Amino acid sequence: MKVVGARLPRYDGVGHVTGRTTYVDDVRLPGMLHAAALRSPHHNARITRLDAGAAEAMAGVHAVITHADVPLLVYGHLSGGGIPGDEPLLAKDHVRYRGQPVALVAADTVDIARAACAAIKVDYEELPALLDVRLAFDDGAPVVNDTFGNWYDQYEGNLDVRQIRKGDIEEAFGAADLIVSGVYRTQSQEQVPLETQVCVAIPEPDGRLTIHTCTQAMYFSLGVVCSHLQMPMSEVKMVGGTVGGGFGGKVDTASDPLTALAAQKSGRPVKWRWSREEEMLASGNRGPWHMEIIDAVSRDGWILGRKMLTIHDAGAYGRFSVYGVTKHSFHHTGAYTIPNLHFDGYVVFTNRVPTTAMRGYGITGLATAIEIHAERVARELGMDPYEFRLKNANRVNDTSPNRIAYEDPSTVEVLQSLASATGSELSEELRAMSRDERSGDMLPDHLVAQIGSGGH
Amino acid sequence: MELTVNSVSRTVRSAPLTSLLTVLREELDITSPKAGCESGGCGACTVLVDGQPRRSCLTALCTLDGSEVVTVEGLGTPEDLSRVQQAFIHHYAAQCGFCSDGMVVAATAYINGGGSDDAGAIREALAGHFCRCTGYVKILEAVAAAARGDELDTGTTASSANNTYVKISEGGQT
Repeated sequence: MKVVGARLPRYDGVGHVTGRTTYVDDVRLPGMLHAAALRSPHHNARITRLDAGAAEAMAGVHAVITHADVPLLVYGHLSGGGIPGDEPLLAKDHVRYRGQPVALVAADTVDIARAACAAIKVDYEELPALLDVRLAFDDGAPVVNDTFGNWYDQYEGNLDVRQIRKGDIEEAFGAADLIVSGVYRTQSQEQVPLETQVCVAIPEPDGRLTIHTCTQAMYFSLGVVCSHLQMPMSEVKMVGGTVGGGFGGKVDTASDPLTALAAQKSGRPVKWRWSREEEMLASGNRGPWHMEIIDAVSRDGWILGRKMLTIHDAGAYGRFSVYGVTKHSFHHTGAYTIPNLHFDGYVVFTNRVPTTAMRGYGITGLATAIEIHAERVARELGMDPYEFRLKNANRVNDTSPNRIAYEDPSTVEVLQSLASATGSELSEELRAMSRDERSGDMLPDHLVAQIGSGGH
Repeated sequence: MELTVNSVSRTVRSAPLTSLLTVLREELDITSPKAGCESGGCGACTVLVDGQPRRSCLTALCTLDGSEVVTVEGLGTPEDLSRVQQAFIHHYAAQCGFCSDGMVVAATAYINGGGSDDAGAIREALAGHFCRCTGYVKILEAVAAAARGDELDTGTTASSANNTYVKISEGGQT
């Protein structure tokens, strides 16, 4: 055991503190061009004219990329997993969110590239925007997504909702002494890595591409680049792994495909580094979640059943949201065991920047809702919130909403440590609780049936 | 325009209103100052100008004739690390590393100015330097260790289990 338990120094520590680590923006190449994007100023609009002629004619401009230059325009981040593509790499007939890229210019300097973007003539016919998920289902709501409409409709092939059905929800609510409902809404959040989205793409003499990428997901981005460019993966070399912060925001492939196209068209290395303003405006963020929870509770503090409705704001395109809501559904009881469940989750499209991963994708806002709700239930029962949480806390062989048996759940110990760290006095009974498989007082009738149903 | 950069005299030809950040990165190929926000908000571009920490993105070249500029490359090398650099390694204070260059520069100025391991004074010295990875605690530990003159072993990492710098009971917030 040379590694386990050893306090090893970071392998990249010396580089990080001496300025020697090479991030993508630090890559220097002879003849390298700099790129800038023309982005939509509207939340939702029809493009009636797109004329890049004046930009292409400007001195110092080496490539202008529009939708017509993209070999496969529409692709989806989950297309490799069978989810239909819905997002054009560059806007063609419509823009669906403010900040959506319409064109990319590669020029001798960033200033020239930005001036050329301003010279591209685009006429828009503005359309009403949908910015609130609660209005997406209304008759006459603006239609956001050209592939799916206003919500994703292809779960399990043809379902428009991610469902969890477990146990007997009607029986649980029939047996309840108390029903507690709440609506929780978390806001969007930008990851704010200090390094903004950035890419350097190099056209090699043999036709291959080398791409210095800031992605958090190298092979994933390779697939997205090769799909849009219709190139075999054997002809694209991705150089990455040195990321100036991502936090989920660099799981999406944001800058690689367009930079690669500009490098191919100009025949020169191209760097595209987003400004901080672009990062805040147009890079994928943690999406807002709308969560409605109704719990059926017994007087002695057991959660018998939960009904939940989640509406996830995906922004204008799907990206990973279908995955995010599925993960959310698997975790919708949080650190607690509830045997009877009825969960419906929707991926809803709005005219906002597409949303994506951020530290606990699908879970973080959910945990906020679950814990506030737990606190409210305990108060309504007149019960110590620690006691309420510890009773319902996951134990070995309890099963998750998607019927996975927990082998090593830590809820009990986490709650006990939390009480200790914050100076909350726990009773001897609560201090003695453990993660061990339920028995005795911790195995009431309503939980008997769910033990061991997880495949053990 | 004449500048001394990391002890080397340089004749610089960028336009007078070019930011020092752009001069360093694009004209001189010194890439440790980072373009995090380019509006003075994040601290990642911080360098020493005549010994004082300055946001290079907001510093116009024309104000610097004859100045001495030091970036993190000029503070120490992998073979000859400064105390602050050693402390950042030992205390795991650099995670993604993108803010580290500016942090190390600011911490160096603080310690060169006689700064102590006082928690509040260190926070004040690093105010305006954003880090999105560490939660700041390890950075504060590293600067305090460097200020105290702790023995620093860059071949191993300090144990957080023995961390006495910030306790939950003291708020734990930075």
